[in-house]
Amino acid sequence: MTGPAIRIATEADLENIMVLEHECFATDAWSRQNMHFEIMAHHTTYAVIYEDDKLIAYAGLSKVPGSEQSDIQTIAVSPAARGRGLGKALMVHLIGEARKQHATDMFLEVRADNPVAQSLYLGLGFEHIDTRKNYYQPDGIDAWVMRLQFAKASVGREPIVLGIESSCDETGVGIVRGNTLLANVISSSMDEHARFGGVVPEIAARAHLEALQPTLREALRVANLSLQDIDAIAVTNGPGLGGALMVGIGAAKALAVSLDKPIYAVNHLVGHVGVDILERGKLETPTIALLVSGGHTSLLLVRDLLNDVELLGETIDDAAGEAFDKVARVLGLKYPGGPEIDRAAATGDPKAIRFPRGLTQPKDMEKHRYDFSFSGLKTAVARWVEVAEAKGEPFNVADVAASFREAVVDVLVTKAVNACVAHNVPRLLLGGGVVANARLREVAAERCAQHGIELRIPAFSLCTDNGAMIAALGAQLIMDGRQPSSLNFGSESTLPVTTVQSL
Amino acid sequence: MNYTLSIDTSAGTSVSLQHNGRLVAEVEYLENMKHAERIGASIAEVLKTAGVDPRRISAVVVGRGPAPFTGLRIGIAAGMMFAEGSGAKLFGVVSLDAIAKAALGGAAGDAGASESPASQVLSSQVSADRPLLVTADARRSEVYWALYSGLNEHGVPVRIDGPGVIKPAALEELLAARGIDPIRTQLPVAARQLTALFEAQLADGSASHDVTALYLREADATVPRDLREAGKKVSG
Repeated sequence: MTGPAIRIATEADLENIMVLEHECFATDAWSRQNMHFEIMAHHTTYAVIYEDDKLIAYAGLSKVPGSEQSDIQTIAVSPAARGRGLGKALMVHLIGEARKQHATDMFLEVRADNPVAQSLYLGLGFEHIDTRKNYYQPDGIDAWVMRLQFAKASVGREPIVLGIESSCDETGVGIVRGNTLLANVISSSMDEHARFGGVVPEIAARAHLEALQPTLREALRVANLSLQDIDAIAVTNGPGLGGALMVGIGAAKALAVSLDKPIYAVNHLVGHVGVDILERGKLETPTIALLVSGGHTSLLLVRDLLNDVELLGETIDDAAGEAFDKVARVLGLKYPGGPEIDRAAATGDPKAIRFPRGLTQPKDMEKHRYDFSFSGLKTAVARWVEVAEAKGEPFNVADVAASFREAVVDVLVTKAVNACVAHNVPRLLLGGGVVANARLREVAAERCAQHGIELRIPAFSLCTDNGAMIAALGAQLIMDGRQPSSLNFGSESTLPVTTVQSL
Repeated sequence: MNYTLSIDTSAGTSVSLQHNGRLVAEVEYLENMKHAERIGASIAEVLKTAGVDPRRISAVVVGRGPAPFTGLRIGIAAGMMFAEGSGAKLFGVVSLDAIAKAALGGAAGDAGASESPASQVLSSQVSADRPLLVTADARRSEVYWALYSGLNEHGVPVRIDGPGVIKPAALEELLAARGIDPIRTQLPVAARQLTALFEAQLADGSASHDVTALYLREADATVPRDLREAGKKVSG
């Protein structure tokens, strides 16, 4: 899970809690003695959020053993930290705690004159079931009694989500339970595109239709689940190839309707970022993410997976993977070009030829500091080979491959590391099929180590396009209490990373 | 007892729910666009209108086209997955056959099952010598087409040629060369017509689980010149 770091309160937090208690509840603050009892009692769980050593929010849950009922005792967010979702994060956390302790319901009281808090609770699935007159003294304000029935709500429970991915040439079906990976089955049409030297959208779309049913069945078999066990469906609705996306969307919607389960339309690129949750149990934020594939070359600043993903830059022409494919053709190597060039480059000298690094000149820094361009590089390689051939000079393919690869990797890693440094972010996450490139991993590891940046590279099956990352992102949305998408969304070929979920 | 959900996206988005042959609910968008946007809500709507739980659907029938690819695939993908989720059996029919069925009506001598009085007239006029020509827009100035000699004893249209894709002028030449002056129809396909055809096929024993899309055209893709040359070198 993403968002603020929440931990359980101890006695040592009491003084800080009392300061915030008085700040938030001027007229009806609890006494220090009462608060001390509350924090220490066996039947309560108090959660706190700190920022820069300052307590900015806390909330308390009461769940008496043997009773199926749980109560929110109090919740407070520092006025300076409001509007950032901290209250909701605490609520989601305590709902999860109550579920773990086998509660079936959660109750709370909220001031009748506090519509902001009321809408938070309503959004989480609470219902207004009663009103207590003049409950809050000395102000004489009524209290709304609200109840959340866990059987009806997905908040705080680890939902089983099935994700469908079809944005390019991989048909992926993944299944997760909360943050846990249960299945990740991928069917690729890569071989069918080989003779065309690149992904052909219509061929990809046809292959999706054929792969859909077997891929779904295999994922269920691997997870040892039936469709009736699935709590929700997630599907990529962009960015990607329109015709390909639509196959997944049509499939996912019909599946959701047939199972009478909610559907979540999610962003493919944000899925690539969120996949780290499946390996680490959470996504460390903030992080810079470099996503490199045959279709994308994007540099993202992720402050929060669900709420704050910013596109720093992307390719202005070819994706890095495309450049590998095209240069492979120039060198008479096969498709896909990435692994072929990797192999050819193994014995080559990366410094043999100095190929241009696109958009790295001082003049590019203003408009394209974090953007990429690989089309000039591809042309430069083609020209170099042409000239060598025209002169009848024999040339070393290994040197050309190694020098080209070095130019691509150099630009990718330099810009990613620069972004980490400039934004003071000590983490870099790699994603996308080009992560399979050995030299990219090597250079990224070297440069990150030099700059004290932690490098994360998920397993390759989670780096390429896959359904597990889509399921994982869907699960995050559900556990965050987000409403499902309607059945009316369409494909969005150029969906921006700021749209994590399409409603 | 037997609910059949039919889906056709070979032209617009058409979804119907029938119960023992009787139409219970249908949603139809004639516009040939937004299939991905509409398909989910359309299926949900027919179920809701009829008040039928998905698990009570015993058969899902999808139109296989021929049709423009992008929309066609969405309906087939949806039908396939609805069958997976609901446990219904999945069947496919040729969409042009469903149009022929609608044009020709019920089984010969089975007036009660005919689509309309007009179609009965049509049915009596059609024969192997004067077949029914069904055409549908294939875009790129072409049409999808098929010829039918009538209905068999179970009411299944007998396709004697096609389905194919062709320029209208070339189709006329082809018909003239064969000396055929067909009865023509360009009725739009509706999902309920898929069910009518499917039920006749059940009686006939020709109902099929094949749901492969009938594209009738290769994917638009050209092999780049350098790869073609590379291929030559290898073979030479």
